[in-house]
Amino acid sequence: MARIGALGIVETRGMAALTAASDSMLKAADVRLCGRHGIGSGWVAVVVSGEVAAVQVAVGAGRLAAERYGELVEAEVVVRPQMEEMEDMPHGEGVAAVSGDSSGALGMLETRTLAPLIQGADAMVKAAAVELGGWSSIGGALVHLVVRGEVVAVRTALEAGRGAAAGTGEVYAALTIPRPAAGVEGLLPAAMPGEPIEAGALGILETVGYAGAVGGGDAMVKTSPVEILRLSGASGGRIAVLAHGRLDAVQAAMEAGASAARRSGELDNACIISRPAPEVISRFGGAGPASRASGGQALGLIETRTTVGLVKAVDQMVKASQVEFEGRYKAGYFLTAAVVRGDVGAVRSALDAGAEAARRYGELVAAQLIANPQADLEGRLPHR
Amino acid sequence: MAGGRLMGKAIGMIEVEGVAGTVLAADAACKAAEVELLGWESIGGRTAVFFGGSVAAVAASLQEGEEAAGEVVEEVVAAPLNQPVAACRDFISFPPDGGLEASPGALGLMEARGYGAHVRSIDVMAKAAAVRVFRVLSVHDRVVCTLIQGNVGAVQEAIAVGRELIGSSPYFRCSAVIPKPEPQVLQVFGQAGSRRSWRG
Repeated sequence: MARIGALGIVETRGMAALTAASDSMLKAADVRLCGRHGIGSGWVAVVVSGEVAAVQVAVGAGRLAAERYGELVEAEVVVRPQMEEMEDMPHGEGVAAVSGDSSGALGMLETRTLAPLIQGADAMVKAAAVELGGWSSIGGALVHLVVRGEVVAVRTALEAGRGAAAGTGEVYAALTIPRPAAGVEGLLPAAMPGEPIEAGALGILETVGYAGAVGGGDAMVKTSPVEILRLSGASGGRIAVLAHGRLDAVQAAMEAGASAARRSGELDNACIISRPAPEVISRFGGAGPASRASGGQALGLIETRTTVGLVKAVDQMVKASQVEFEGRYKAGYFLTAAVVRGDVGAVRSALDAGAEAARRYGELVAAQLIANPQADLEGRLPHR
Repeated sequence: MAGGRLMGKAIGMIEVEGVAGTVLAADAACKAAEVELLGWESIGGRTAVFFGGSVAAVAASLQEGEEAAGEVVEEVVAAPLNQPVAACRDFISFPPDGGLEASPGALGLMEARGYGAHVRSIDVMAKAAAVRVFRVLSVHDRVVCTLIQGNVGAVQEAIAVGRELIGSSPYFRCSAVIPKPEPQVLQVFGQAGSRRSWRG
């Protein structure tokens, strides 16, 4: 096996910081990008290899760039690494092959929670001629979105996006790279294809936990004629319910959804984008799950922070009353939920039994009954 | 097990923060009584191991497993499911990989938050003694646990050297050596992407 001189590792909190560090490293010295690995709560690491001196220079440059765009966790050089032991490390799978040349500038907006990111995306495409790239989450509710275009356009767009996002939530970082190094593309999220969707307004209801999102979404579709596009997980337990329709319908739905979400869980954000850019809806709201049959039965949700508490709850629920276990959902790798089905009375008593078990063996986050779930919502529920 | 309950059977569950405590619990549980490891699950940086057997075997395993995990973590949740409903099995995300060659030798565990710390510690551990990386487990909330294998002495030496490197870091969590790990433990925690077993 060929021995390599050194490995360089830069670990950051935040994807903008990691992207800036990777770009700087690749430009500063002759190093190769070997991989990337995210370990949750917003921590991401990039690994490069090359001659010892080159890696040292690169890591120095990467450290400075990371500190400028976020938080640096660690910047290290491993000299003459035991390569065999590094071979199957998880970072080896973290870099996508880059196809073709990407010309032009790269912009990245990074926010805490999804609602401000979508607000920012809408402002960006309206402010300048930029193309929306993919978005992704890295844990700790940190989410990032890529835009591309001429450098002036990207800068203008990011300025507008940062302002719009800050009006709704927390902007974590905004990064522009005028001429990204070849290879940086491989670290970025791919854009899922989707047809542009025209709408009068887009409502974003973001909750901590699945139970709050389902409760909120149920109230939304029962209040006014809006269509739920999807329930989108954004890590850190956040779930965003995206709905579109006429502005007045969305306004009424959001008001009802927000108070229902507050009752059944924790509401993080409720905002409306009037006349949203069609590509923003398709980027964040496209390709929801296929519909499921509800059979007109009630839905019960138990949500906890621990696996043991949840499994105990499910065991108790199914034993205590005439309900069927339907599926489970992990809200952003942070909270875990189970869904049962049955008659309203059966689901109610199952939830009582389940909640007690969950409390005893962990922490109960929510116990939610949806007596008469609407088909419009059912079709978009992501649990399996 | 389709549909019905496991008559006369039980499932034991042990959950802790991180994954090293769960590996220790699983090993102790298998050694305490005749139980079968069913797999594990992870949420928010916490992991839980599941094992099945008779009600009495599960009870004995739970006690030993809880105690073993308690040596490296403060809070341990241990619970039996007697005659569990079938749905309980749906929560086991990582069942054992029967195809994985269970190799002899000791198992060393090094757990800390941060990935860079693990790359560095793996390098010093591999240079310090004849050990191989068996698996690197990331379980959310930044928790990463490196599992190494080798002869008992080599694993002990490597873990000591690795601990010297990252033990003083605020992100260090714990380390442990299992001199003779149960083959079931290796099959359960070595699955999902591990392509390497110790060839020592």
